[in-house]
Amino acid sequence: MMNRINPLHIGALLVVVLLFSIFKLSGAKSDLSEVKAEFRETQELATKLSGLKSTYADKKSVKKSLERVLKISSLRSANIVKKSTKGAIVLSSSSMDKNALNSLMGKLLNGAYQINSFKIKKLSDSKVSFEMEIKW
Amino acid sequence: MFTKFNQKYKTIFLDSSSAAFELDEKVNVVLSPSMYWVKKLSLPLQKVSEVKKLLESIFEDTLPLGNYNYSVYKEGEFFFAFAYDDKFIIDTLEDKGIAVANVAGVYFAQSELGFIEGAVKINETQSIFLKDDILILLPCCWVEESGDLNIDEIKLSKRGINLAQFGHIVDSKSLYKIGAILVAFIVLIMSEWMITSSKVDDFSDKKETLFAKAKLQATMFQNKAMLKKYTKIHTKQVSIREITSIILSTRLRPSETLTQLILKDKKITAYYNIISQPTINAIKKELKSKKIEFNIDKKNGHFIFEMIL
Repeated sequence: MMNRINPLHIGALLVVVLLFSIFKLSGAKSDLSEVKAEFRETQELATKLSGLKSTYADKKSVKKSLERVLKISSLRSANIVKKSTKGAIVLSSSSMDKNALNSLMGKLLNGAYQINSFKIKKLSDSKVSFEMEIKW
Repeated sequence: MFTKFNQKYKTIFLDSSSAAFELDEKVNVVLSPSMYWVKKLSLPLQKVSEVKKLLESIFEDTLPLGNYNYSVYKEGEFFFAFAYDDKFIIDTLEDKGIAVANVAGVYFAQSELGFIEGAVKINETQSIFLKDDILILLPCCWVEESGDLNIDEIKLSKRGINLAQFGHIVDSKSLYKIGAILVAFIVLIMSEWMITSSKVDDFSDKKETLFAKAKLQATMFQNKAMLKKYTKIHTKQVSIREITSIILSTRLRPSETLTQLILKDKKITAYYNIISQPTINAIKKELKSKKIEFNIDKKNGHFIFEMIL
């Protein structure tokens, strides 16, 4: 009759199990906060990266957008030459008037283009030469 | 609990006045009438379980102050109710040299020796005697004994009791309550753990989905490197636009002319053929306000603003 399990042993076992579950829970909570932080970081990175990539690395959209800009009536007289390479497009005009330059620069600087280089040179009071390389 | 095996163990009769035992084997213990309280009851109840509920109140006014456990069995028309102090029994066992771990079973003399007739000597100084079906302990000289009792030869019943070794510290009800609370906590915490683990898996899945949806590279290291590259491009583009805007929006006097504006490598260079000090100051002020590094030079009759990206 004395062989029955000591209730204090059962109590101690329960306490050990309780401590073990607390330990496991605390580990899981820490994993959760870590994985949450990683997820948020990834989400933030993905948003930024996809925004930047669509702005600077989407060749098709840069090409389309540039075509729209060059079709503007005020730029038709500027005889802008377009030369595409694998990684860039070069726009140039040997002579264009100031208004056309203002219009073109306004569009290009306000647009999402990766401008690699440009050269604007005054030819006379109303004319300038223009060259710009836009990467994609 | 182990009653069916208990017959193989030696049986001893335990009384607080017994001499110490020298035992290193398991034994069955028959408690002397001096170690428990017994009542023979005739009650209008049929089941032992019904009587069990009343035991505490049955002994309420009989017992001295202490922690007691109760037991009952039915014999014929009568119920035999017992009250015993576990700690007192355990202390007596230890006092008599019997380790608690060596006790195979504990029985009341009442339930095991009810068959005796007349007085039976149980040790040098004491006898037991059955009066009105109740076994009582008497000094041996009070009655004439019919003989000695060889307790080792009696066949033990199944009416043994379980001693609560820690009953004096905390009663069984409290133990059950504490146990139940602990179990409830364990269940709660385990559930919380499972929910949390499942959330961890969810977030891991979401992260994988995000990787696929946003067409990210396989590792965060690669993605961070890519973000760094594009952020650098973006910063440079913003800077190009800021500098170009400052240069092109600065009002020049009629005599002043901007002849060239060149973006090459990591700098923008503006060439002026004539430029007044107030205009230079205005450009400088704007560049400084945007924290743009710049140099001013004069070469071949041109004023040159060189702005670093």
